Amino acid sequence: MAKYTPPVQGKLGQMIDVVVLLVMTIGSLYIPLWLGLAGSAHESNVPENPTWESLGQNAVMVEKWNQLGYADAASAAELISSRFDYSFSISSLLVMIVVIVGYYAIMLRFSEKEYREVIAEKFNQS
Amino acid sequence: MDIWNIMEYAAWALAAVFGLIIVTDWLRTDNSYSEEVLMSSREGELEAMTEEHKI
Amino acid sequence: MSDFDITSKEIDGMAPHGTKVGLLRVLGPAHVWALGVGIVLVGEYMGWNFAVGKGGAFAALIACWFAGLLYTCVAMIDSEVTSTVAAAGGQYTQAKHIVGPLMAFNVGLYLVFAYTMLEAANAITVGFLIDTVAVMSGHEGLDQRPFIVLAIMFLAWLNYRGVLATLTFSLVITAIAFSAIIILFLATSPVFGGDVLRHEALMTDLPYGWLGVLAAMHFGLWYYLGIEGTTQAAEEVRSPARALPFGTLAGIMTLLIAATLTWYVCVGLMPWEYLGQAGVPLFDAARMSGSTGLMVLLGIGTLFATLASANGCINDASRAWFAMGRDHYLPSWFGAVHPVYRTPYRSIIFLVPIALIFALGAPLDQVITFSILSGLLEYTFMPINVILFRRKWPLHAIKRGYEHPFHPIPAIVLLSLCGVAYFAVFLGYGTQLVAMIAFYITVSLWFHFWRYRFVRRAAQFTMPWPRPQGY
Repeated sequence: MAKYTPPVQGKLGQMIDVVVLLVMTIGSLYIPLWLGLAGSAHESNVPENPTWESLGQNAVMVEKWNQLGYADAASAAELISSRFDYSFSISSLLVMIVVIVGYYAIMLRFSEKEYREVIAEKFNQS
Repeated sequence: MDIWNIMEYAAWALAAVFGLIIVTDWLRTDNSYSEEVLMSSREGELEAMTEEHKI
Repeated sequence: MSDFDITSKEIDGMAPHGTKVGLLRVLGPAHVWALGVGIVLVGEYMGWNFAVGKGGAFAALIACWFAGLLYTCVAMIDSEVTSTVAAAGGQYTQAKHIVGPLMAFNVGLYLVFAYTMLEAANAITVGFLIDTVAVMSGHEGLDQRPFIVLAIMFLAWLNYRGVLATLTFSLVITAIAFSAIIILFLATSPVFGGDVLRHEALMTDLPYGWLGVLAAMHFGLWYYLGIEGTTQAAEEVRSPARALPFGTLAGIMTLLIAATLTWYVCVGLMPWEYLGQAGVPLFDAARMSGSTGLMVLLGIGTLFATLASANGCINDASRAWFAMGRDHYLPSWFGAVHPVYRTPYRSIIFLVPIALIFALGAPLDQVITFSILSGLLEYTFMPINVILFRRKWPLHAIKRGYEHPFHPIPAIVLLSLCGVAYFAVFLGYGTQLVAMIAFYITVSLWFHFWRYRFVRRAAQFTMPWPRPQGY
């Protein structure tokens, strides 16, 4: 198999490639933030006039809350009654599965193609 | 101005010093060695030089 | 090249392809342990407790052990492959030899992002801790930024100056941070007369049921995330075939102990609702124990753990970036080694501003999720990697430094646990997951259709192995 000789990349080309990579990286981190899609959903139902009893805290727990600096039930109520929202739709779950499996499938396919080229050049040259 | 304000300034100053040391050394190194020497590292070579694999 | 024999003793002191300046082989098994545990131990001091928030105290313990199983598989698989493919870049170099160039490019990016994001998270925690101390001493409104910048600059300088000093520093501070956890456990345990743990009263049922246990796996990974970084030292270890498996496996055992002890002490001292959102849980636990000595010790432990972790992250991310530059996967300028300090100095310098951007500009949970997701994608690659490795080069074909037992069971277990972890991330952070994969698909296309033209084909396969079976 003919040996592949890569072109030499100049300084400017190298810099452009780094910038492109950086823009993609920072974009993927900040785009979900800008669209307000990041973070998980919380819900909280703080009862009216919360007491330690209505929040379901026993004596030892109350002692610990006090030690942590929460002097009364009202100050800790928000923390205690906050819950994650784990509801999800089957369709979004399916989308996620397709995206992940598809990603690995595409990547393994392209890799395999490139890998055969590498092996052919490496072991057929002499 | 208490101790923590002083520490803030000290931290800025120290960070700048470390940054300056790195950048000066980087520029000096790049100017005093050829690119060919700096980029001569090849994967798997140290293996051949220093390793003793016994089967 | 194919008649070039790795076992040869004749080739000595002269490199066959003209390496004039290479990385320095100076590290021993203890440094490998320090690199692995040093990166991860911070997970015991902060972050793991979000698993308590996602599913309750018992869920966090179940997640801790299942994540432990996941990482034991990771460590076993990694030890086998890396004791054979011993070069800087770790899993990147493995992927290049075993799966293919595009996979290698992706794995290289997983590594760089997982570690750079973790480094940013550590720097943020350093700032937070110093602010906490300032508030306790009566100073409100401390500017955290100088301390964040200082932490990153100091560690970058240390890394720039040489790998031996860097990892010896890690070894010392990691050992102190690990001892602090053990001392906290002993001091609070009833065996030694401590009487502060209140497990019966504080433990509750699973607040979210079994779904919460699944969800807790997301942050359960945080107990161990980064242990696979030991492989990055491969080109700088004196005897990789022996030191890497030893250091990695000793590291995962250390972490299993530390993780379980941390869970035990913390849930015995704090209500789970508080623990689930605490910033520095072990420091809080020490405060709750009522001993000033313990509080100071765990404060120092937290600081040391974050520094050791950021230090290891700079080391690992720069090695991966350097290895990709050396192969022209990235601009070749990054493939340079410092002629005096023998470190990949341009990669170290380049990653400093990136870490600063994220440490100063992005929220902590976002940064952590970015890091966890990159790690998770990497763990999904590992079972594929090891199955192909055994198929292309069966055990008799090449000599391995370490052979992991029960193949392919660890690979299958790892793949299934990764599936569970994806689902756990999906509960709550599904958008980031999709955004992240969209990013990797985009860069993959960019690499395949543009960047790969600059890569020499055969030259990137550097291991003196026979032709893979089936090719």
